[in-house]
Amino acid sequence: MKKFHMIVDLEKCVGCFNCMLACKDEHVGNKWLPYTDEQQKHENKWICPTMTERGEAPYTEVTYVTKMCQHCDNAPCAKKYPDVFIKRSDGLMLIDYKRAGNKDIVDACPYGMISWNEDLGCAQKCTGCAHLIDNGWKEPRCVQACPLRALQTVFCEDAEWENIIEKQGLKPITDGSNKPRVMYKNLYFYNKCFVKGALCFEKDGIEEAAIDAKVELLVNKTVVATTASDFLGEFYIDMIPKNTGAMQIKAYMDGYDPIVKDFEIKEESVILDALKFGGGEGKPAVILPNEHAYEQALDHMIPKDVEAAKKAFEEADK
Amino acid sequence: MTTLSQEALEKSLKIFNKTIVGGTLFTLDKLLNVLGTLSPKFKKELAEHNITVQLRLRDNTYGRWFRFKDGFVTGQDGINKDCIVDMIFEDEASARRVTALIRSQFDFVNAAKQGQIVLNGPDAEAMWFSSLLLKVFAFDVLYLGNYGTKMPNGEMRYTTGTNGGPLFVYVKDDKIVRVTPIDFDEEDPDMWTITAKGQKLTPPRRTTVAPYAQGWKQMVYSPDRCLYPMKRVDFDPDGDRHYENRGVSGYERISWDEALDIVAKEMIRVRKTYGPGAIFASTGSHHNWGSIGYYLSCAKRFFNVIGATMCMHNPDSWEGWAWGGQHHFGGSARNGGTEPYGTVEDCLKNSEFIVFWSSDPESTSGNYAGQEGTIRREWINKLGIPVVHIDPYQNATAAFVRGRWICPRPATDAALGIAIANVWMHEGLYDKDYVKKKTYGFEKWETYVLGKEDGIDKTPEWQEDITGVPARTVRALARYWGTHKTYLACGSMTSFGSAGRTAFGTEWARVCVCLIAMQGLGKPGVNFGTLQYGTPLDTRFWFPGYADGGFSGDFIGTGAGVATYNRMPQTPSISSEYQAIPRLLLPEAIMAKDDADITWHGLGVYSVHSQFGTLHYPAPGHERVRMYYKYGGSHMGTQPDSKRYAQQYRCDSLEFVVNQSVWFEGEARFADIILPACTNFERWDIGEFASCGGYIDKSYLQNNSRVIFVQHKCIEPLGESKADFDIFQEIANRLGLWQVYSEGNTEYDWTKRLYEATDMARVMPWGKFIKKGYYVVPPLPENRRDPVAFNWFAEGRKKDTPELTPLPSEYYGRYGEGLQTPSGLLEFECQTLKRFDPNDEERLPICTYIHSWEGVGSEPYAKYKLQLISPHSKYSFHTMGDLKDTNINDIQEHRMLIDGHRYWVFRMNTKDAAERGLKQGDVIEVYNDRGKVLCALETTERVPQGICHSYESCADYVTLENDPGGEDTTEIMGCINNLTPGRFITKHAHGLAVNSCLVEVRKWEGGAVK
Repeated sequence: MKKFHMIVDLEKCVGCFNCMLACKDEHVGNKWLPYTDEQQKHENKWICPTMTERGEAPYTEVTYVTKMCQHCDNAPCAKKYPDVFIKRSDGLMLIDYKRAGNKDIVDACPYGMISWNEDLGCAQKCTGCAHLIDNGWKEPRCVQACPLRALQTVFCEDAEWENIIEKQGLKPITDGSNKPRVMYKNLYFYNKCFVKGALCFEKDGIEEAAIDAKVELLVNKTVVATTASDFLGEFYIDMIPKNTGAMQIKAYMDGYDPIVKDFEIKEESVILDALKFGGGEGKPAVILPNEHAYEQALDHMIPKDVEAAKKAFEEADK
Repeated sequence: MTTLSQEALEKSLKIFNKTIVGGTLFTLDKLLNVLGTLSPKFKKELAEHNITVQLRLRDNTYGRWFRFKDGFVTGQDGINKDCIVDMIFEDEASARRVTALIRSQFDFVNAAKQGQIVLNGPDAEAMWFSSLLLKVFAFDVLYLGNYGTKMPNGEMRYTTGTNGGPLFVYVKDDKIVRVTPIDFDEEDPDMWTITAKGQKLTPPRRTTVAPYAQGWKQMVYSPDRCLYPMKRVDFDPDGDRHYENRGVSGYERISWDEALDIVAKEMIRVRKTYGPGAIFASTGSHHNWGSIGYYLSCAKRFFNVIGATMCMHNPDSWEGWAWGGQHHFGGSARNGGTEPYGTVEDCLKNSEFIVFWSSDPESTSGNYAGQEGTIRREWINKLGIPVVHIDPYQNATAAFVRGRWICPRPATDAALGIAIANVWMHEGLYDKDYVKKKTYGFEKWETYVLGKEDGIDKTPEWQEDITGVPARTVRALARYWGTHKTYLACGSMTSFGSAGRTAFGTEWARVCVCLIAMQGLGKPGVNFGTLQYGTPLDTRFWFPGYADGGFSGDFIGTGAGVATYNRMPQTPSISSEYQAIPRLLLPEAIMAKDDADITWHGLGVYSVHSQFGTLHYPAPGHERVRMYYKYGGSHMGTQPDSKRYAQQYRCDSLEFVVNQSVWFEGEARFADIILPACTNFERWDIGEFASCGGYIDKSYLQNNSRVIFVQHKCIEPLGESKADFDIFQEIANRLGLWQVYSEGNTEYDWTKRLYEATDMARVMPWGKFIKKGYYVVPPLPENRRDPVAFNWFAEGRKKDTPELTPLPSEYYGRYGEGLQTPSGLLEFECQTLKRFDPNDEERLPICTYIHSWEGVGSEPYAKYKLQLISPHSKYSFHTMGDLKDTNINDIQEHRMLIDGHRYWVFRMNTKDAAERGLKQGDVIEVYNDRGKVLCALETTERVPQGICHSYESCADYVTLENDPGGEDTTEIMGCINNLTPGRFITKHAHGLAVNSCLVEVRKWEGGAVK
């Protein structure tokens, strides 16, 4: 049968919080028994984005990560409290509101998405708006309110879902062992690191941005990604696994000495601002705008370098 | 709302139709009795007066009189001289014309104006009878609830409009169940498609909402709603008024009659004692939505008919554009804003680069447009167009679109822009042919930029010390921009932006115009635009925006003159008053003890030079205002140095203050009498998605579709609250103005009348419209789309974009040829400014960079090292959506819950915080010489060191010491504007400069706030 699945695309989230607000709108002050009792007015969000940052000004990247009940097939909550949780045949996980009076239930969710309703004294969570879906609604409220459908529900056979995961490169937000029905796209904005920086050189006493300089990222002397500095002389390589350790940037520019910069990737992204090409006196150098060079630089900007980096790192992961 | 079963409804309608169709008022008795049996509510209203009413022709050749007794009506032919209410028709023909059910509103208004129909009698009875007649015409809607769409589960689905997008409103048992955006159905038209760079781009078939729209249900049911008329406990209109306790003493509930009697009595007293303009009125925009019951319609008409002194609003979203930018290229009707037409398609198709400069449409929804523009900005990356964002804060648009971020120090943007021009001039990277043929005064500006006179070549190196942006970055940006077709995205639509609200923010707006002029404004791919404004929709289908006047009758003070007035018959309402008070000097004007002259330069939108007019308060022949009638959102929170706006209440300058408010917050806390208004979910209205009209012509071009909606009365007003319209009507009644105010029409009548006046009446019958709730105007096919903005100018055609502005007299040459400047060209040297004051160092005829009085290196910098910007907010719309105990406050980017108090969020660079021993989630005290505000700290890398960010427009103003306006008090709700300077953007402009603000921050040691 067609079952519930959800895709959360980090790239499409604008951080409007409409999902949380729509969920509150639907569930605060409204009882949808037997699906669920009303949601507590404040806090106790059944779905909520969290703003996360990587890097440092002015090389900051911002991403919202939205979490909700993952409607796991191998759910730790249901394993621990089999009489409280109801797994529907369409994959949605519900809480039996009459049996949810134990506060410890909240701790059974590794995603922290079960909340304790102080007013009613019961554990609650996202129902996937089952009360609406069962009455002909195509999407739960959070999805319907999402401007770009950064949240997207997919009702399909599980086999087809596997294809979608493969094709769209979806990832679980943790290790996937709970078999969540919610999968994430572009999760690297949240759980991977980048290296960004600027390249420059000096000419006639003026510091110029180095445009379209070739940039290589190396691990253990192996090039794992290449890009080029852009129209501001900046470069950006993303999707570096956390704690990769020692890495190296090499940059090349006609007529100047190459730049070699060692750095380390731990938990945080790395900024190399600004790396200056040495040498170059009396040597020819391209500094005036060059249409072809810009086009090439553009070609190397994300998302293409992301794809390249992604492949390289998948290799490295193995 | 009472809803009948389907069978009962059909039966009722059948009787109703049989009785009334083709009938006239002369068979009224039978009709009223039938309707009374159909609706107990109507029967009750029928029983309100036991009187006799005469209907007759003037010459008494025909008449019929009616006796109303205990809800039953009997009628008799003839003339009864003892009737209390006397309705006279000039002759049989006019009687037939105006009493038929399907009548021309034009005939009716005309008959009333010409005395062909007269209603005599005591106000209360005459009005009651008149409204009864109108209710007959709307009986099925008002009494049978025959509107909205019934859902299979028994819920009713209504529609309404908000400043964050239209909503479906699901209602059961007179309670709102949910509000959602609108998903289009199968009969709604297909969306448009833009083909750009080999891709077909089409938006989805639905509307989107901003967070403050999605949170509206809880604003309706907020515990902070004003539900009953209130009187300040120690306010005695006949004794001691205790002015000093405004904002401090509490309130007690009084009846509507008591409240309205006090207000009406005070209005008469103040006007008779102090003469013209003694009542001061001020509206705050954005707290509701609708063409009829909102501030530029029902409030406008009311304040006109009582001749109030009005608050002159500064253009607080535009500022730099209104006072600076427009002198270079016109656009006064949009406060210096640009034409938007066709720019979305042109940008996607032809531009190679987009520079977002102080532009954050993702936070502000453009203006009223939900998340409509978001998908278009997603297309930027789909098409691979490179992007730069220039803003001290990595704003929501920069975060979402990504690209490169350049963060100059606040109020230094003009220096950055001038340095870009400098590179272009040195390296020849601009459109010399365009500059030669289409512009005026370039050499003057070039002389300044290259430093030919002052010896300062304004290079990227020159700006580095000022802005903090590396010279190499600016040079690289200039070169790329100078060699690629570029869209310049300023502010949230075009021509807004927090950079324009800085000290001399005029110069930022001006440099933007100069830069785009150098690259050939109006050439394919070269224009202003944020992809927010200028979608390919049908601009020829006429439906007015909320600023187009509604039933205001004000064809000068609203957009009615060019929009609504010739379409919807209505009696005019022009105020006898020309005295005004500038909003930014309101406290000074109110508190001036002597007759101190407040002088300022005002702003008119009719022409560029109208902003030079010198105004005075008090105006000649006027005393100072003595009564304040406040309607709508609060000035505290939105206007600089907010504590002044509290101080103005706590002295005897204002003898009486009435506040008509939906929520008890902000300025409502300072009133002597509070009149509780309901939201537009509880009353009738009509409107269009994001359509403002008036000062933002065709603002619906921000949307992916034109959605016109009826705003149903979804539920009965909560508590004893009433529609603003009805409150104004009741006061008007007490002043004998009942017909003058509303022509005897209700809000529903006006709603329907507006519909009938528009193109809506041609495409969807009223009966269907009020059931379905909305209409989507089909987009035009590709070969009928509007021409691209300014392309006519670039190519030397007559203006062919679809707008009536500027006024004919502002073409100094032949009509329709050239821009709204004296030369008709894009002026680098502004002739308007030159004529006004060629030596005004704060606003020279050419664009220059001027150091901020409150920035790095300024005098206050010695004490306060952090530059604070407070742009328009993301999760609330000014004060709308904030507080009121809604779930907006659960958004951790909006407010943080710490020890039981929800603190406003203040953002500071991680390193700056660490240097002060502060961490994420700390309660902090933000302070300067103007005040202290408690906030919650967010440490972030979205601002560089030395710069802080916090949104403007907290909805409330509360001091810890319960001493509002007091010196050395601590504001606890997050009223950031308590810290911002009240100084004008430039001395001859009534504009604010809140983003030039220095503060310091320390950990709050004062304990938990209750």
